[in-house]
Amino acid sequence: MVEGRAWGHDPDTFGNMEGAMAKPSVILVGADKGGVGKTTVSRTLLDYFLAHEQPVRAFDTESPRGTLKRFHPDVTEVVDITSTADQMKIFDTLAAVDSQITVIDIRAGLLSVTLRALNDIGFLDAAKKQQLNFAVFHILGPSVSSLDEIAETSRFTNDAHYYLVKNFINNTTFFEWDPATYNNYFHKLKAAQEITIPKLNEMAAEQVELAGVPFVSFVANKLASGHPAAYSFVLRGYVRHWLGNVWAEFDRVNLLDAVEAQPKSAASKD
Amino acid sequence: MPRQTPVFIVCSPRAGVGKTLVARLLIEYFKTERQPVVGFDANPDNFAMADQLPADTAIASLLDVRGEMALFDQLVSADGTVKVVDLSAGLFDRFFAVAQDIGFVREARQSGVVPVALYLVDADPRSSQGYRVLRDRLRQMTLVPVVNTAIPGLRFRADNLPTAPGGEPPLDIPRLTPLVRGVIARPSFSVSGYMSGQADETTELFGWIRHMFVQFREIELRMLLANLSPSIDAELRRIVNGR
Repeated sequence: MVEGRAWGHDPDTFGNMEGAMAKPSVILVGADKGGVGKTTVSRTLLDYFLAHEQPVRAFDTESPRGTLKRFHPDVTEVVDITSTADQMKIFDTLAAVDSQITVIDIRAGLLSVTLRALNDIGFLDAAKKQQLNFAVFHILGPSVSSLDEIAETSRFTNDAHYYLVKNFINNTTFFEWDPATYNNYFHKLKAAQEITIPKLNEMAAEQVELAGVPFVSFVANKLASGHPAAYSFVLRGYVRHWLGNVWAEFDRVNLLDAVEAQPKSAASKD
Repeated sequence: MPRQTPVFIVCSPRAGVGKTLVARLLIEYFKTERQPVVGFDANPDNFAMADQLPADTAIASLLDVRGEMALFDQLVSADGTVKVVDLSAGLFDRFFAVAQDIGFVREARQSGVVPVALYLVDADPRSSQGYRVLRDRLRQMTLVPVVNTAIPGLRFRADNLPTAPGGEPPLDIPRLTPLVRGVIARPSFSVSGYMSGQADETTELFGWIRHMFVQFREIELRMLLANLSPSIDAELRRIVNGR
């Protein structure tokens, strides 16, 4: 691997990454409102990449609480995305670590702020020069105010794989947008793709919350420690069915290609 | 080889075709055989089986997830107790939709539980449609057609019974005279009590019950054989190659 990639200071040092085996991929998962199930989407992403044996790490920006870390403690670090020190922790290490894919769960209200910061430190330029893969999962809230976010974020995301996620997981949110307004915003985004997260049965969702394990572990009836658990078969069945549908959405938008996932055997050999 | 736990789902999308009678006889059969058995009465309007076999039957509901858990979590448990579900016509779609969603048949098979649907056929098109749906969507489930000859006007046609792959032969319920039917329908009448007592083996009632029990035993034997056949095949191969 290549040494010396403190690229925040000088955009040219990005050239050092070209010899690396795989381009690093950064996925931002964000929403400008809380309570739209952003962390749930991050969890399904981590499960998805881990199931495909892709080396992945995650940053949870809900400092200091860290919901994502509770479910995926092994791969998750809690950071404060607004602090320069933590930004360095994430972005200065992109090419250095084994985890080729970095998932960042952006705290509610910080998506635009983060994108602006990424612009300032030259990250977006690197994405433009295709030195790294950049994807944004924008979780949509139920109200029109969150559509305004699309207009604002789209300024920064021309070179990103942009996914608009309609999250129906807790079905308390139903979407009240005027289709004309929605299409107007949607078409402002170059090549944005829609992803729909279906509803998960409330009781199943609640039990996974209580268990505090990845969805995949819940389906496999395992505790966080890896020991056998005694979750309800019915609830496990519902979670498996739902997770299968979510992953089918990721497959549909060719997410693995977007992050240039390595074939399983190659990834596990390393 | 561990003993398999059978789960019988007595079902049809049509009401009044004899589901509760078959479910009740199955429970009585296993009681007569001294095998542990429990029934699940999933008839929200009329708990006829629970009325007749209160000690052996639990009430099942599919109204909410709690009800589904109470039923399905027990059905996938490989605890050696035979389960018999009397599934009402109204819950037919719901039960099998949930079963498909949660991967019931696969999970059951993996843990040593063998789900068997006893499907009461009749001449209505909805009956053959429901049968095809089960055959196509839940392929790993054993599907046994049951023909109740007591149903008036049942014109049995071949296209009502599309054979399942590896098809199970149909089970038949012979017609009974009204008098004997009345005896069986009596809540106080216990089939297992009657069969294990000093019954006159020449009566219509005895012959009818024995006919049913023989067919149940055949289903059991086929299940056993299906479970054993891989090891039998291996053993035969070993003998042939050893020579």
